Amino acid sequence: MCTIARAMNQAPVSCIPAGKMSKAKKVLDEAREIQNPELDLADKSISTFEEMPGLLNMINVTRLTLSHNKIQAVPPGLANLVNLEILNLFNNHITELPISLSQMPKLRILNVGMNKLDVLPRGFGAFPVLEVLDLTYNNLSEKNLPGNFFMMETLRALYLADNDFEYLPPEIGQLKNLQILVLRENDLIELPKEIGELTRLRELHIQGNRLTVLPPELGNLDLVSNKAVFRMEFNPWVTPIGDQLQVGISHVIDYIRSETYRYVYNRHQSAKGPPPPIENDKSKKISRVR
Amino acid sequence: MPGVTEMSLDNMFCSRCREGFVPHEKIVNSNGELWHPQCFVCAQCFRPFPDGIFYEFEGYKYCEHDFHVLFAPCCEKCGEFVIGRVIKAMNANWHPGCFRCEECNGELADAGFIKCQGRALCHTCNARVKAGVLGKYICHQCHGVIDDKPLRFRGELYHPYHFNCTACGIELNSDAREVNSRPGYAANEMNELYCLRCHDKMGIPICGACRRPIEERVVTALGKHWHVEHFVCAKCEKPFLGHRHYEKKGLAYCETHYHQLFGNLCFVCNQVISGDVFTALNKAWCVHHFACAFCDQKMNQKTKFFEFDLKPACKKCYDKFPQELKKRMRRMYDLNPKRIPV
Ligand SMILES: [Zn+2]
Ligand SMILES: [Zn+2]
Ligand SMILES: [Zn+2]
Ligand SMILES: [Zn+2]
Ligand SMILES: [Zn+2]
Ligand SMILES: [Zn+2]
Ligand SMILES: [Zn+2]
Ligand SMILES: [Zn+2]
Repeated sequence: MCTIARAMNQAPVSCIPAGKMSKAKKVLDEAREIQNPELDLADKSISTFEEMPGLLNMINVTRLTLSHNKIQAVPPGLANLVNLEILNLFNNHITELPISLSQMPKLRILNVGMNKLDVLPRGFGAFPVLEVLDLTYNNLSEKNLPGNFFMMETLRALYLADNDFEYLPPEIGQLKNLQILVLRENDLIELPKEIGELTRLRELHIQGNRLTVLPPELGNLDLVSNKAVFRMEFNPWVTPIGDQLQVGISHVIDYIRSETYRYVYNRHQSAKGPPPPIENDKSKKISRVR
Repeated sequence: MPGVTEMSLDNMFCSRCREGFVPHEKIVNSNGELWHPQCFVCAQCFRPFPDGIFYEFEGYKYCEHDFHVLFAPCCEKCGEFVIGRVIKAMNANWHPGCFRCEECNGELADAGFIKCQGRALCHTCNARVKAGVLGKYICHQCHGVIDDKPLRFRGELYHPYHFNCTACGIELNSDAREVNSRPGYAANEMNELYCLRCHDKMGIPICGACRRPIEERVVTALGKHWHVEHFVCAKCEKPFLGHRHYEKKGLAYCETHYHQLFGNLCFVCNQVISGDVFTALNKAWCVHHFACAFCDQKMNQKTKFFEFDLKPACKKCYDKFPQELKKRMRRMYDLNPKRIPV
């Protein structure tokens, strides 16, 4: 607690930093005391790592949750936490990530959703054991992905919804372990045929894009079993796909596996017109606010 | 440009032939030195200087052409003279912009280069080319070429000397053995390395399938040792070859068949769920890991949650989503909060 001293003709003394500091500090002190390797620091009005003294020396920490704060910058020293397996930075104000994160030897789950990322650092794809990467609701596109992004072979879930992708790089096919791929509400104009190489995929979300056709190779995937989910609504599909979608996803998949569709697809690809217009209005996204 | 003037001819003489000048004869004056026009010529080719431009070296004047021929180096790439910064490399001279990597065409002047079979290459290309040509591998740690036998560890190849034996600490060579130190742990990221001596002290392992000693890499799983090629999925009998396997009732399965037969891997820890299972949103969770995907708060059967891209969001988190997102979600989702079916 703090008291505001006010003498005659004196301005009130600000004490906000001290108050803020104690909130996060208390959690850290407690965790140190009982040796708790999981740190819950969600919604603590934290704006910098300096409000969490000693955190970067707590190398036993395996989970660090900092969702719903106001953090703008992540210090490279966070990579000191060599035992960290789960890092949750959802809903902060982060514009840049340090490259050191991708050297963290045990990091398996990284959530940087709902931040203000315009780019990822060069070499970002070097994570040795990353399994779940959540980049939902940022300002990312294929133009600002680092060259090694699709080298993360250990990924089983990749969340890219609410970003600005127009094309998905063909290197997506390298993510052999991918089970979940979420591309909802980007500006995607087409999907690469390499998506058909993701044989383990059992969740594909492509709704709310500018897609007109699907690569026939998508038919190689098992997206209709009771262990799979395929969401493709709200796209300007060509009529035959749109018609099949009316009756159900399994009809779409049967259709794109047919010879007829292969012919329709090839004709559509060779007579390519201009892409459909962008329909998603992103001006109100909080990731855009500077 | 030298000026041509007429002055008093007493004690004036040509800098080259030392003769005097006759009246009304043209005289070349360059920086106070005088010449007969026919004497103001290149010291090499004895021709007048084109456009009056000459180069001086050790007291002699040369036309541009001869000065370059005699003194300026010639670029190996473009054949032009190199004026200014000269890169001396590969027994030749180069313009800084002409000395480039023969693989990627990147400039080498400041980055440095490596001579590889008579070619100048940048460090990156050299490593790649060398590895490719020689059928060698690149070290996952230092990105250098592995000249001797590589050490395979957790699915990657390395120079053995980057590692020490887990038991005795000695620097490893390629005889080192990778051991799955946690039987039953599916992934290879807990594997450890031992030198051959320490490994042998741990007992020569016998393959659980063929009952013969294992000289090469050993897989330890299900409480037994296996030849890499003999540790196979109980359903499809394909060897895992370092890929993930999943165990159930003393048998190992590949991911496909584990899923097909039993189904439940925790979305967070990716381990087989032995106790209670939470199933929702096309996923399963073990009791420890069923939590809000956005704030990691633990949830149970009683907790109501919202769906967002098939991830569970607790009420608190959902309320914090920006208005514009909720507006879009209304179009796409069934927004009624859910509970885990019991
Ligand atoms: Zn000359
Ligand atoms: Zn040149
Ligand atoms: Zn090395
Ligand atoms: Zn040893
Ligand atoms: Zn065997
Ligand atoms: Zn199998
Ligand atoms: Zn779990
Ligand atoms: Zn939550």
